[in-house]
Amino acid sequence: MLTLEAQQRGLLDLVKKRGASPEDPYLRQVEGSAQLAIVREIALWWRVFALEAQCRFTSRLLKRLGLFQETVAFYFDNNLTSPFVEELSVDFLDLLRGHPNPLLRAVSQSERALLQCRAGSGDTVEILWDRHPDRVFQALETGSELPPAEAGGIYRLRIDRDLPGMVACTRETVLR
Amino acid sequence: MASAATVSHADSKPSLAVTYEGDDIALLERILPLIDTIEISPDAIARSDGKRASLRAEVLEEYQAVQPGVNFVAHGVGLSIGSFDHWDEGYLRLLDELFARFDLQWHSEHLAYTVVAGENVGTMFPLPRTDEALDLVCERVRLLQERYRVPFLLEHVIHLLPDSPAQYTPAAFLNAITSRTGCGLLLDAYNLECDAMNQGLDVPAFLDELDLEPVRELHLAGGVQHKGFHLDIHSSVTSELGLALGLEIIRRAPGLRAVTFEFLKEAIPLLGHDAICAELSRIRQAMQC
Repeated sequence: MLTLEAQQRGLLDLVKKRGASPEDPYLRQVEGSAQLAIVREIALWWRVFALEAQCRFTSRLLKRLGLFQETVAFYFDNNLTSPFVEELSVDFLDLLRGHPNPLLRAVSQSERALLQCRAGSGDTVEILWDRHPDRVFQALETGSELPPAEAGGIYRLRIDRDLPGMVACTRETVLR
Repeated sequence: MASAATVSHADSKPSLAVTYEGDDIALLERILPLIDTIEISPDAIARSDGKRASLRAEVLEEYQAVQPGVNFVAHGVGLSIGSFDHWDEGYLRLLDELFARFDLQWHSEHLAYTVVAGENVGTMFPLPRTDEALDLVCERVRLLQERYRVPFLLEHVIHLLPDSPAQYTPAAFLNAITSRTGCGLLLDAYNLECDAMNQGLDVPAFLDELDLEPVRELHLAGGVQHKGFHLDIHSSVTSELGLALGLEIIRRAPGLRAVTFEFLKEAIPLLGHDAICAELSRIRQAMQC
């Protein structure tokens, strides 16, 4: 019979799909069970539900890119995942800070800064966009087509709680 | 020690309780005439600033506004009383806040763990029914009883994963905890239904073996089926089977103080206010028969 610690660590690894296949007969039974997949599905479902509600634009963009489920699963498997939605969402958006897709980076980091700002942060954050941020947010809100990247310019989105509406955006021309 | 026995009111009828997590004044106004007690989940009404969680003042004000006339009890989710290393101190700070603000009749937690070595498992797992787990839980119950001088109840949770090797039957494990600590029990009729469907639990045999004297609260709820399994996602009204089981527990548990209709806040749009109120009336009527 496993110790409490061994059983709990073993089940954690199974739920988070980590480590080698267990040697203990009970953990092996769990590993091969249909119920383990259901438990994992429920755990992910709760995170999906929270992130859809809290990180509305990033979730929608990830879905359009066909990356939402796999990104949430990756996040769940490799992070502590706070039970508090405020921590969970900021932590999840942090994960996307270095994503290779520039639009996803811009949307997620803007959303992160807005969440922090609404939570009382006094930080000023600037994020560069390759297309008009308003048009992107509107497209994500309405389900319409996303605007393409604009050649020859960048948009500098500034997020600060002291700004009217907390955001300001300027277009800068890129000299070639 | 605040044992379950010190609050036994064998002659009084159980009160009707409901979960309410705030932000829906219209629902609160409709359910108030129907209930006696509100069950508060500290974790569900907390907000974190990234460093520390605290109870949301606006929700506490909602509770404050309905006093007097309504009793309060607390029902935790995140204590993780069964974690091998330590429980969640952050949850206790939330509970401290709640106790400082309201006279709670009792508080309860799931006989389970949600955190392993500081990492959230993403769900709630039951404890293996072993001497090691028994010793750990009993010591933690003792600490809770010392810290909060009101009764503490433990709720059994559903077993979705295959049952682990055990030294006790499900009822004997609960009996051992209550007899050793004097804590109370929160029985959940829907969880028993789930265990019967998912694991083949013999509910009549479980109830025959269980010492029903320490049972102080009963949960009624409805859930969902997914891929052939019954899940404890409280998103619907109590089934006829669940209500019948609940009524049997009411008849057999002499110290029962409250029957609580549990539903997730997230399920309110799906359920609707009318259905929640109708369910409370249905349960009240059934309790009076």
